Amino acid sequence: MKPQHLLAAGALAAFLCGPAAAATLDLVEPIAAYKIYVSEKLQTLVTDTKAFTSAVKAGDIATAKRLFAPTRMSYEAIEPIAELFGDLDKAIDSRADDYEKAEKSPEFQGFHRLEYGLWAQNSTEGLAPVADKLMADVTTLHQRITDLALPPEKVVGGAAALMEEVAATKISGEEDRYSHTDLWDFKGNFDGSQKIFELVRPLLENSEAAFVKKVADNFDTVDTTLAKYKDGAGYQSYDKLTDGDRKILASAVNTLAEDLSTLRGKLGLN
Amino acid sequence: MMSRSDDPSASRSNRRRQFLIGMSAAATGALAAAPAHAETAPTQRHVTDAPNAHASAQARWPFYGKHQQGITTPRPAAGMVAAFDVIATTPDALEAMFRALSARLAFLTQGGMPPELDPKLPPADSGILGPVIEPDNLTATVSLGNALFADRDWLRPLKPRRLQRMTRFSNDALEARLCHGDLLLQFCANRPDTTIHALRDIVKMMPDTLVLRWKQEGTVPVLPAAAKGRAESARNFLGFHDGSANPDAGDAKLMQRVVWVGEGDDEPRWAVRGSYQAVRIIRNFVERWDRTPLREQEHIFGRRKASGAPFDGRTEFDVPDYARDPDGRVTPLDAHIRLANPRTPSTARNLMLRRPFNYSNGVNKAGQLDMGLLFICYQADLEAGFITVQKRLNGEPLEEYLKPVGGGYFYVLPGAESADDYLGRTLIEAARAAPSPT
Amino acid sequence: MSTEKSAAPRPSRAMPLAVAAAAVLVLASGGLFYYATISKQAAPADGATRVEIGASACTPNELALPAGRHVFEIHNASQRPVEWEILDGIMVIEERENILPGFRQRLTASLKPGTYEITCGLLSNPRGKLVVAATAASDAAATAGPDLKAFIGPLSEYKVFLVMQGSALVAATQDLVAAIRRGDVARARALYAPARAGYRAVAAVAGRWADLQNSIDPAADYLEKREQDAGFTGFHRIEYGLFAGNTTEGLQPAADRLLADVTTLKARLGAVKLAPDDLTQGAARLARRLADGRIERGENAYAHSDLADLDASLAGLAKMARLVRPLIPTAAADLAKQLDGRVDAVRQALAALKSGDVYPSYERVDAAGRRALAGDFRDLADTLDTVSARLSPG
Repeated sequence: MKPQHLLAAGALAAFLCGPAAAATLDLVEPIAAYKIYVSEKLQTLVTDTKAFTSAVKAGDIATAKRLFAPTRMSYEAIEPIAELFGDLDKAIDSRADDYEKAEKSPEFQGFHRLEYGLWAQNSTEGLAPVADKLMADVTTLHQRITDLALPPEKVVGGAAALMEEVAATKISGEEDRYSHTDLWDFKGNFDGSQKIFELVRPLLENSEAAFVKKVADNFDTVDTTLAKYKDGAGYQSYDKLTDGDRKILASAVNTLAEDLSTLRGKLGLN
Repeated sequence: MMSRSDDPSASRSNRRRQFLIGMSAAATGALAAAPAHAETAPTQRHVTDAPNAHASAQARWPFYGKHQQGITTPRPAAGMVAAFDVIATTPDALEAMFRALSARLAFLTQGGMPPELDPKLPPADSGILGPVIEPDNLTATVSLGNALFADRDWLRPLKPRRLQRMTRFSNDALEARLCHGDLLLQFCANRPDTTIHALRDIVKMMPDTLVLRWKQEGTVPVLPAAAKGRAESARNFLGFHDGSANPDAGDAKLMQRVVWVGEGDDEPRWAVRGSYQAVRIIRNFVERWDRTPLREQEHIFGRRKASGAPFDGRTEFDVPDYARDPDGRVTPLDAHIRLANPRTPSTARNLMLRRPFNYSNGVNKAGQLDMGLLFICYQADLEAGFITVQKRLNGEPLEEYLKPVGGGYFYVLPGAESADDYLGRTLIEAARAAPSPT
Repeated sequence: MSTEKSAAPRPSRAMPLAVAAAAVLVLASGGLFYYATISKQAAPADGATRVEIGASACTPNELALPAGRHVFEIHNASQRPVEWEILDGIMVIEERENILPGFRQRLTASLKPGTYEITCGLLSNPRGKLVVAATAASDAAATAGPDLKAFIGPLSEYKVFLVMQGSALVAATQDLVAAIRRGDVARARALYAPARAGYRAVAAVAGRWADLQNSIDPAADYLEKREQDAGFTGFHRIEYGLFAGNTTEGLQPAADRLLADVTTLKARLGAVKLAPDDLTQGAARLARRLADGRIERGENAYAHSDLADLDASLAGLAKMARLVRPLIPTAAADLAKQLDGRVDAVRQALAALKSGDVYPSYERVDAAGRRALAGDFRDLADTLDTVSARLSPG
């Protein structure tokens, strides 16, 4: 190998080869703090879902549409934990294309079924049972997580998982395809990922300064880019996202997914 | 098997020498590669000759040189183009991207051992080529799209004069998700795994600067080494030899005229030693083609299907004599090869070096095979080359069986000449030297 | 190791004294069996470290030991019931309560290298010193460390529990203090047990801070001047006023101080660094402390609300048991089942004492009933000890 190749390989090794120490009890505090964060998000989710589903059941399309995106944000922020329960995640957040007959499938339920009704059909007809089911599922989720000792590797891995998910299935705008409220979801995902990173950050600040700075900078890039689309308490339609900003977001998300994929290892959780 | 002395081409020997230099510079596998490549190289003289079945995984092309590899380099069995958007908006950021990219490509094309990381971390390499990355004849060719220049004030004045956004030809049905890009990477190697490995490496290592936009892989049928004489051109997915009339990539003078932008050309100084690249994803309606009578197929192309020979010739390399056939009685006037290259003195300047691959992607919604040609060509003048030729082809009978759906125009960067150099250096230096636009 | 020492509030008021009445009760019931580890005989020659507590000092007053597991045999040679503790700064490492005059009691402590203090009888007595020297094994353990990964999740969740209970404790204490300020005796009496519940639920950890424990939860019987002692503060001072005196008069200083103390406790619970032993051994230690005297004696001498206290203790113990349970290896499935059974037994024993939905006054539970209840907690402690030994990392 020529010297410069060795250099390139060496530089790579230097960046990736941080100390992957054994997990220590220093993680107890960040994970406890994260559990409290999750609990708060779940309480908000339950409260918000109650208001949202009530509006759906009352046939108040305008209110239901207004409450859809903000309600989802709490769910999106804690998705790595919510997804620990496959049955509930499927019931709460699956998309039409998870089913063979898409929107026509009776199994198509949850948030996106309501979104489909509200936006694609502009109607609440037939949505009452879906709303009740969503409320019940969200309540069950809250109960199940309340007593759950969060697996540390799921928490720490969740930071990357959230970015992975945005990169793989959300940057395309396919998540909220009827309402185009994807930027709200993004915000929830980013906040959730950033929360995890910030909680474990003190454990890495000394040993992984370059890594910490790079990740923090990319979160900043995301914040700055998303802030351009702020609209009141929420965000503009995904249609408004310019091609240039979509690229910047995609790059930041891919880089975050790549870098945060080392987080578990760096904290000795693999 | 041909011995070296069977081949009269001096330029080919030069190329061979250049190749050996590249190998000896590499630390691993050089000795193993030499005999293996000696067996395969002589049979593949032209870029579009069918690649040899016994290509060695240890063979490598040098990364550094006047020109980038992957253009006049004999075409191996596996090809891929991947278009990216570039995040960099400043000269510094763009330079950093070019340097990082050059370093990765230098490593990938020469092979070696990726660093071993703590198993608690994701591995440094995808590992799909095993613990040791064999070069496998990998070439990486970096080119820039119109958008890279157009979207940056400080780069706009430096855009190669003929670089433009690909616009629709009459038969095109371009899909936005398969078109254009700031930067294109062409990977070619003996095995598709090697090109996929290279792409995954870049995607993993450079997410902060490059965002993948689209990609298309292709293959070329591999043939056993010809017993004697010139190797066949590879066949496309319509069953015809493709590349029979390609200019000789071993002829350096010819390549300087046809392919490379030179000192005297009316292009920015930084662009010297580069080339224009046109990429087209051309879907073939193969079911329909296979239901077309053989004679009609041959008339549409202007060649015999079995031999590849023109109607007035014996082998695929015989040159049709259109002067003797002004009314198209032998070769129809609208036959593909006649429109593409009328072989008149005035059309000699429309020559280009084609280096296509066949692609096969799956099945479309209608249940039809999604396959066709990943057309790639290089020329010193995009307008005189591809654009003029494609305009001549507009309305050709073959269109009934084709649908171009993607691609774009790009400018291939001059080569990085040594380990101290990097791809894109001349452009960055020119940008720094230029007065900033007001 | 003892860096917190200088900053630590020095516990100076709560003089742990055994209750004469409790001793009488014990003797009267003839139930000495629970002092199985207590001996009046001469110390056995089994390598135990013997410490004699005299009227004014320990003998020896200074101990030097290698790191590791040690058995201490504490002989109370004074005329007062005493408590013996190993302290790391303000942190209680191990303790034995209520060692009656003339009795010996044993405790086992796993000691890391460092310098510790020992309480020697009366709090006015000078503290003893315990110097633990590093050994090759302790050095190795410190560097290699046990595989702690499995404990991260359960400890985090326990931390969350402590923080939540800490908040609930402060909120409930605020309500109690507000009622006292208003002079609303009835309301204050009703809020007494609920306020204690938060404290009891976190007792396994709260018991580590000697200063707060002595300020929040001293019993009059442990104090020289009993109810008249200046050290009589915290919950029981308020209980005394509300239930013995049926008044809120004069309670305000104690109420304000209690609120300040539980607020400090909440902050400490939020900042505490937990180790695996805090979960496994901590639960065992708490259950045993309850079983070895407190349950039979009763702790709320005026309100007799001990069943509510025990209910809250069980909530804390059950949470700890639930968190360590998944760590029990599958090979020891029986142990996991046994743990479930023991927790359940305590729960049922308490439920059986309810009349309707409420717990009756502890006066209604006779000595035999108390002994039985103590037995259930002791069984739970035994099982928790087994679990603790099984899970002990490293």
